[in-house]
Amino acid sequence: MICIKQLHKSFGSLEVLKGIDLTINKNQVVVLLGSSGSGKSTLLRCINFLEFYDQGEVWINNKKIDFHQTDLNKVREEVGMVFQHFNLFPHKTVLENIIEAPIYVKKMKKQEAEHTALELLAKVGLKDKAGEYPHMLSGGQKQRVAIARALAMEPKVMLFDEPTSALDPELVGEVLQVMKQLASEGITMVVVTHEMGFAKEVADQVVFMDEGKILEQAPPHVFFNQPESERSKKFLRRVL
Amino acid sequence: MIDIFLSTYKFFLGATWLTLKLTLTSLFLGSCIGIIFAFFRLSKKKALNYLATIYINVIRGTPLIVQIAILYFGIANIVTLSPFWAGSLALAIHSGAYIAEIFRGLIQSIDKGQMEAARSLGMPYHLAMRRIVLPQAFKLAIPPLGNQFIIGLKDSSLVAYVGMQDLWGAALSEASSNFQQMNTYIIVGLYYLALVLILSYLVGKLEARLEVDSKNRPNRTFKNLFQFKTASS
Repeated sequence: MICIKQLHKSFGSLEVLKGIDLTINKNQVVVLLGSSGSGKSTLLRCINFLEFYDQGEVWINNKKIDFHQTDLNKVREEVGMVFQHFNLFPHKTVLENIIEAPIYVKKMKKQEAEHTALELLAKVGLKDKAGEYPHMLSGGQKQRVAIARALAMEPKVMLFDEPTSALDPELVGEVLQVMKQLASEGITMVVVTHEMGFAKEVADQVVFMDEGKILEQAPPHVFFNQPESERSKKFLRRVL
Repeated sequence: MIDIFLSTYKFFLGATWLTLKLTLTSLFLGSCIGIIFAFFRLSKKKALNYLATIYINVIRGTPLIVQIAILYFGIANIVTLSPFWAGSLALAIHSGAYIAEIFRGLIQSIDKGQMEAARSLGMPYHLAMRRIVLPQAFKLAIPPLGNQFIIGLKDSSLVAYVGMQDLWGAALSEASSNFQQMNTYIIVGLYYLALVLILSYLVGKLEARLEVDSKNRPNRTFKNLFQFKTASS
């Protein structure tokens, strides 16, 4: 599904990714763990080309993406992203947020787009909020709308960049619930998170990153019970 | 003073109309120029960026009266512009530089996450700019643009010096014939004051309608302007 080879990325003199190799299979949920500054988010943003890497290769669906030649808009249509700060469009209603890209990018008929949008809203439990503006919603509701908005493009893979980090603790559960549901439906997901419970329960693979490198990659029961490196043991002692 | 007011109001109302025409024409053109040059300033293409920087610095760095004079007298050998168009164009080019900086600042002030979210949905840059970023920026533009429009209205008085009978031009010729400079200038000042107050009032109305002041409720854009407020808002 997604294959990353020897990815390097620097911001100025700071090397954030130091040769990442990672394969994400179809229908898998991969959770990226690591302390802040370890390069998790940058790696995620390289997959949908919000950041351009300096060296290496990204393959999506057996196609090598060359960001000078490939139409990145087409790539991004197939890679949905959910942001830490939701990034809903404040001047549009919940429904308008969701139908915007299907109508203007996929050229879907408005009626059809609205029909799909309402189904997605029902799925995330917010059908009654279709006409509201984002500022009327709680953080958890905003994030669920953002998930519905990304799903409306029918992406082949969903990227989650710390989707619950900006939420009040009591609102985290409702967002994780939706994400668990997506995982159970077999949607391919790459999740950067600090929610260890989610990683343990939902992930097929846990990837532990430190200082721009992948230190460990294992199924969650292996990673959480028998971490290999000293660094990951230390990390787990702190967060668990 | 009242007798002067009564004897001049027909003349001055005609001149007011000319001032309004000048102001509206130049501010409309100036806004167009401003938007275009704001994009030039934000452009990754170096040539466009330099062009916009030079334009903004030269225009902001020279007096408006000089610009009007150059446009009217200076390039008379190349093209002849009527006083109205020389004045309108000079005012438009002048206010355009300031408006460009207003728009540039506002576009940059919109959270980067908005553009990223739009791009992550597969929207091309220009579509994301048009559908997502600009509607939010335009709404925030109303207070500073209102300010710029007030300045433009008053600046239009300088076209009197290329022989136009706008409000200030009319005041100059009236005062030279009735020898009541003080009273005439006060009266014409009141005309400007009235125009500016009306303009401020309209801008204020527009702000209230679009709820510009509410950071937490940035939900209305120009699209909503002509819709009735719903009970819930």
